[in-house]
Amino acid sequence: MSNNSTTSTVSSYIPALSDPLFQITTVIAVLFFTILIAKGITIYLQRSLKDKMDKEHLNILIKSIYYGSIVIAVVGVIFPYLQINTSGLLVAGGVVGIVLGFASQSIMGNLISGIFLMVERPIKIGDQVNIDNKLGYVEDIKIISTIIRTYDGLFIRLPNETVFTTSITNYVANLTRRFEYVVGIRYNDDADEAIKIIKDIIDWEPFALVNPGPSIFVDTLGDNAVNIIVRIWAPATQWYDMKTRLLWIIKKTLEENGIEIAFPQRTIWFASELNTRKMSDISETGYDEQ
Amino acid sequence: MFEIYHPPFTTEAEDTKIIVEKQGDDLIYKRLFRGKEEKELVLLNNDGDITINPIEPVNLPEAITSFLLIEFKRSAIIRSGDKKKIYLKFPVEIGVFISDKSGNHEVIDIFTFNKVKYTLYGSHTQGIICRHWESDIYTDEPDTEKLYEGFIELDIANESNHQMEITNAIFNAYGMKIYFGDKRLGMKASMKIINKLLAETDFSTYPTTSRFKRSMELYTARKLAITSTKGIMEFGI
Repeated sequence: MSNNSTTSTVSSYIPALSDPLFQITTVIAVLFFTILIAKGITIYLQRSLKDKMDKEHLNILIKSIYYGSIVIAVVGVIFPYLQINTSGLLVAGGVVGIVLGFASQSIMGNLISGIFLMVERPIKIGDQVNIDNKLGYVEDIKIISTIIRTYDGLFIRLPNETVFTTSITNYVANLTRRFEYVVGIRYNDDADEAIKIIKDIIDWEPFALVNPGPSIFVDTLGDNAVNIIVRIWAPATQWYDMKTRLLWIIKKTLEENGIEIAFPQRTIWFASELNTRKMSDISETGYDEQ
Repeated sequence: MFEIYHPPFTTEAEDTKIIVEKQGDDLIYKRLFRGKEEKELVLLNNDGDITINPIEPVNLPEAITSFLLIEFKRSAIIRSGDKKKIYLKFPVEIGVFISDKSGNHEVIDIFTFNKVKYTLYGSHTQGIICRHWESDIYTDEPDTEKLYEGFIELDIANESNHQMEITNAIFNAYGMKIYFGDKRLGMKASMKIINKLLAETDFSTYPTTSRFKRSMELYTARKLAITSTKGIMEFGI
């Protein structure tokens, strides 16, 4: 009894739910707190994802979360409070959701893949990559697709789902990269001297890294040449320029020092001595007497 | 070679010759190596003074890093809690600056008489690319040829609980303060060893001797917003 009387006493101080002024005040308060919480979440996300996502995509994510929170608060709290029946809205929304879900299955897949790509960041704008056998520079990473500019200047749009599910080779993700030449010299050339000359050339090359150092060694005694392997580490941003330039310098310097690059040749040994004649003898008589 | 020139002028050092000629209101800048032209610029509407002085040695042939790694020819061992001053040699790069009427300096050319090499410090994924230089450890100021090398007066402090072996030191060019005199140039730096895998280097704003004058550094002339001037060695010393 005493409990009931206490409740009725408290209720008498609270305005009736039907009081329009109280309803408006409550709605404003709920909206205010929702905005406050949404702001808090977005500021937290902005700080924690600042280094993991680029600015443009982070803005999209933050705006989605901000407005999404407000919509949830309106539909989930304010509508029931104002006794607006949302069941019809939910049924209609559900049906529309299913239809849209089927229709936009691939878009959603790409969107979610895009978000994961932005968070995981296996590639960045400007990187040189091979995605799904498409080689080139990453021009842009959008929420639905990734744009590649191939080395021969073609524009390729890859859906993010493809980018996310296929293997990605990022040629510049690491700081350094190694490249290799095979230099084939003649058997009668001095391989030790050739190795010394190549080492000297590399030693004067600024971007041929000291550590990890180059390795130069005789790899195989081939059919036509003694094959020297030359492996050089370079900064990932400089390796291609160096690779395209250095081989010709090695070739020229070796030749200047009397070491020739071998070409395919075969030495044939005959079981019996051959009777050979000069071509001039044949041309004088007009026929081969033998 | 390290001084302020008023065009037109010609200066020569080793096999390199710098010629600045006046052509009307413009200046023609030429750098020749053994008589062969290596760089030519036309400085339009310009009659400012040209400053040639040593700069941070991390710019050639392209600026790909701001770190200089000096590898010690012999390792140095320092006891726990100990402090010691040593001297190292560092490579010199030469910067050519042009000044305007308001006193701003812009770099127009960089060259060096040294061999340039780079190296990786740390891992392939997390490490840093550094300009590489090898130096012996000296207990007194070493003799240097100022067009080629300068010296770093390095105060090492071992703040760890163990004796440490130091094989190299990394310096951040953003913090370098180069001072030069008639015959030599130098920098003053410190190295704080925290543990076997972590050390920190930084530069002092004071010259090694009061007779030296401050060089116009490249990073100062560019007026960059610098976040850190320290060299953090987190992959070992």
